[in-house]
Amino acid sequence: MIDVDVLVIGGGPAGLAAAIAAKDEGARVMLIEREARTGGILKQCIHDGFGLVRFREQLTGPEYAERFIKDFEDRDIESRTLCFVSRIEKQDRGLLLTVVSRKGVDKIRTESLILATGCRERTARQVFIHGTRPAGIFTAGAAQHYINILGQQPARRAVILGSGDIGLIMARRLTLEGAEVLGVYEAKPAPSGLSRNIQQCLKDFDIPLYLSSTVTRVFGEDRLKAVEICDVDNDMRPLEGSEKVVECDTLILSVGLIPENELARTLDITLDPRTGGPVCDGNLMTSVEGVFCCGNALHVNDLVDYVSESGECAGRSAAAYCRRESSDPSKAATVELHPGEGLHYLVPQHLDPEQGRSILYFRSSRVFGECSFVVKAGEREILRKKYPFLRPPEMERLEIDFGGYSVKPGSSVSFEVEEL
Amino acid sequence: MDRLNKIRKKIGALSPDIRVTRERGCIVLRGEVDDWSIAVKAGHAAVDKKHSLGVINDIRLKGFEQKTSLPALQDRALDGRRVDVLIIGAGITGCAAARELSAFNLSTLVVDKMSDVAGAASGANGGVVHVGINFSRKSQKHYYNIRGNRMYRELSRQLDVPFEQKGQTMLCSRNWERIPVALLKLNARILGIPGVRYLKRSELLDHEPHLPDFTIGGMHMPTGGITNPHEMTAAMAENAASNGTEISLNTAVLEMELDPDSSKESGNTHIRSVLTNRGRIYPRLVINAAGVYADTIAQMAGDRTFTIHPRRGTNIITDKRAGYQVKSSMGKSPFSILPYQQKDRPRGLAGRMKFFINTLAGSSHTKGVGLIHSLHGNMLVGPNAVETPDREDRATRADEVESIIRMQQHIAEDLKFSDVIAYFTGVRASTYEEDFAVRRGIFTDNILQAAGIQSPGVTAAPAIAVDLRDWAIEYLEKEIKVDRNPAFSPIRKAVPRTAEMSDEERDALIRSNPDYGEIVCRCEEISRGEIIDALNSPLCVPTVDGIKKRLRPGMGRCQGGFCGPLVMKIIAEHQGTAPDAVRKGSYASVICYGGTKGGRL
Repeated sequence: MIDVDVLVIGGGPAGLAAAIAAKDEGARVMLIEREARTGGILKQCIHDGFGLVRFREQLTGPEYAERFIKDFEDRDIESRTLCFVSRIEKQDRGLLLTVVSRKGVDKIRTESLILATGCRERTARQVFIHGTRPAGIFTAGAAQHYINILGQQPARRAVILGSGDIGLIMARRLTLEGAEVLGVYEAKPAPSGLSRNIQQCLKDFDIPLYLSSTVTRVFGEDRLKAVEICDVDNDMRPLEGSEKVVECDTLILSVGLIPENELARTLDITLDPRTGGPVCDGNLMTSVEGVFCCGNALHVNDLVDYVSESGECAGRSAAAYCRRESSDPSKAATVELHPGEGLHYLVPQHLDPEQGRSILYFRSSRVFGECSFVVKAGEREILRKKYPFLRPPEMERLEIDFGGYSVKPGSSVSFEVEEL
Repeated sequence: MDRLNKIRKKIGALSPDIRVTRERGCIVLRGEVDDWSIAVKAGHAAVDKKHSLGVINDIRLKGFEQKTSLPALQDRALDGRRVDVLIIGAGITGCAAARELSAFNLSTLVVDKMSDVAGAASGANGGVVHVGINFSRKSQKHYYNIRGNRMYRELSRQLDVPFEQKGQTMLCSRNWERIPVALLKLNARILGIPGVRYLKRSELLDHEPHLPDFTIGGMHMPTGGITNPHEMTAAMAENAASNGTEISLNTAVLEMELDPDSSKESGNTHIRSVLTNRGRIYPRLVINAAGVYADTIAQMAGDRTFTIHPRRGTNIITDKRAGYQVKSSMGKSPFSILPYQQKDRPRGLAGRMKFFINTLAGSSHTKGVGLIHSLHGNMLVGPNAVETPDREDRATRADEVESIIRMQQHIAEDLKFSDVIAYFTGVRASTYEEDFAVRRGIFTDNILQAAGIQSPGVTAAPAIAVDLRDWAIEYLEKEIKVDRNPAFSPIRKAVPRTAEMSDEERDALIRSNPDYGEIVCRCEEISRGEIIDALNSPLCVPTVDGIKKRLRPGMGRCQGGFCGPLVMKIIAEHQGTAPDAVRKGSYASVICYGGTKGGRL
């Protein structure tokens, strides 16, 4: 039986940052990772653009991860790779985990737990693509794994569905590896990826982007032979009569990421249907006392810098939770943060107004031009901030201290976007 | 009026372009139609079980040409091979027969054009081990289903395949439905099916705790069960293989050479050789278990008395977290008409009476779509039933999947579109008689037919195999001495399922082989050791789909997004090949085209 203060599940950027922060706060920390190496999905993100916010540098994914791995190793934090959590049980105090690794089955008792389990990709069947089941249909992340980790070329003539960032990155990557990318099709009327990726990955390579258009069927028995493309209406339903067939051997899907919260579900942690991640307080503690969440498991981020930031917050909070004396921080009265008109989601979902500076992450629900971000306590406007634009693909971060606004615990604060 | 003319009159009313003749005891239909449903109706109208051997429906659909996929593999590996028994088709029927025959010292070869066993209808089956309550007493479906059902428990034990027997439930929504349901119960008694009872809602809740609100009660049939059809088929094949049966996948039968003198002497045709893409095989006896192509094979052998009219069915798999909604299998009674169905139900008293009688007599083949608990905790929803001219029409369709979900949302009230993780379509090999055609050759002496195997084929296959075995031995004993296989063992061990073990058991296994502690598939918790075991099994299918079908990596919610590349690498290492030599399934289903450009430091 291993006994620790803070157990971090997941060795990607969120988990590494969380483990480092918790260790720096003096906690006994252990990190477990199911893959053979830490670094998470950054291992296969060999393109650059990571770390601009945090390090003011253009790093590749592995370079960004390497900085945290070094900090992690410098601190001699206990860790185990190729280690899989099979079961978590709540105990009177803390949690008991059953983990499986090449060493056998082990039990770990921990005072607090940080879920840094990342996200997974939505699949072809989940976006209701129909037809046969040939080879050649990959999620963007799987295609990236084949190319960047296994050194294998999975495509010759590719169609990309979805303009999420990984799809855009893969359009460029496949082109560089000699494949022909026929186009990126996006069912929404606006691209889902970052503007810089539209420019650097599509425009710079003359790859067309087709909006309000989707893949509805695939053809081919052995390897993919063609896909059927349809225009879609405002509700993203295919328009009859707009079908056309595009011959290709590969379909790459970049149709959304889903926070991986299977472990959270087994603990009956309350999830927010807007984010797909746990409902958290300002310390990133979930509805289950002592269990924290960060990174893409909390909500899908577009920049790794914020993943690390939320990891650090969860790590510090978990360490503080372990040092707690009689007062139970989870019982502190909080205010509900309510995403109103124009907001897709807001993290955290509630917080203690007396905790001081808080970091909020949010996404707008649609594209806004010049607009105001308005925070109201009841009918009382407490903050108004102007934005030149807000776009759903680009997550916003806002620091706010509710201390000065005399917001009463138990009340709720709403957030809205007003178009100017 | 003459029977043939009666049929002609019925069919003439459907289309003037169909010619009806009687040849060699069969009703033969020829012609061309614009609408496939007319060809299907004509086929059903031509059925005369008492006075004819069967329906040969060669009506063509204008503009349709059957595209038959053939394996890309071409070699001579089987050329000149002499075997006692050649089984065509490695679905559950063919594999069950191979296993039965492997108890004897016969050389048996199973061929299938697909890249895995259970590659077509068997693999797309929902896994219900049927009670068989609505089959007619004289049907082969009843004969084999009731025997097969009784065999399942012991068979599953011998082959180490999970089996749950928690019954089948038929839900009633109105009080009057109890009357036709009582008639079904009576039918069950006549058929010899034990334990069938009508239960009130409160009693039924013990068996199915998540009944839809409309349920006032229902019939509970305790002999119903759940198997995993792919695993069962693969287990039969592995067991047969370890007892000496040879299984050649990616092997399609292209033509048969019939003995030119045979029919003159005995009046019977004789198969001399069978040509495949891997060479010419010389069998003493052929067993036709070719599924949707069973009539094509029977035609090649000169022994066709039936026609397969393909009927598609689509099943939907939900995430395990939606799996609680069904414990075993349930569907509404065929009589109950839910509010949303009002417009589809038969009109008028006569229409309704006919509908009930057909349902009771088992001649209705509109499948009772339902909910099925999978042995892995998911919920299976479906299947539907759609006639199609295309025997390989395994593509899924948006409208069908949507309508199945919408229909089943009345039974599984919590079912959401977002719970769907996969869906797949299979094609049933139905005959116009809507019954199995399991028999010795009529016009050809050295063939056994196991055709028309649709639902309840998975249940019936073990019993069909017993007859096929006995008939095969009876035939072969005329030529050779058939002894028991002294090395035969009916026992097959499954790959250990480490996720289902106790911690102590699992720990000990990992300590003996650390590969069992390395989880490759995070959704289904499958270890590297299990994958390597599957590759070392007596029937190695070293493809990503082969591993997926056996162990389930790639069947979970990520659908192989994470584990696909890892499984490919493990297969390549095990087989000693480059990663790009690993296929998804079929011989030509290339995953990767070779190395990337590479980089130099």
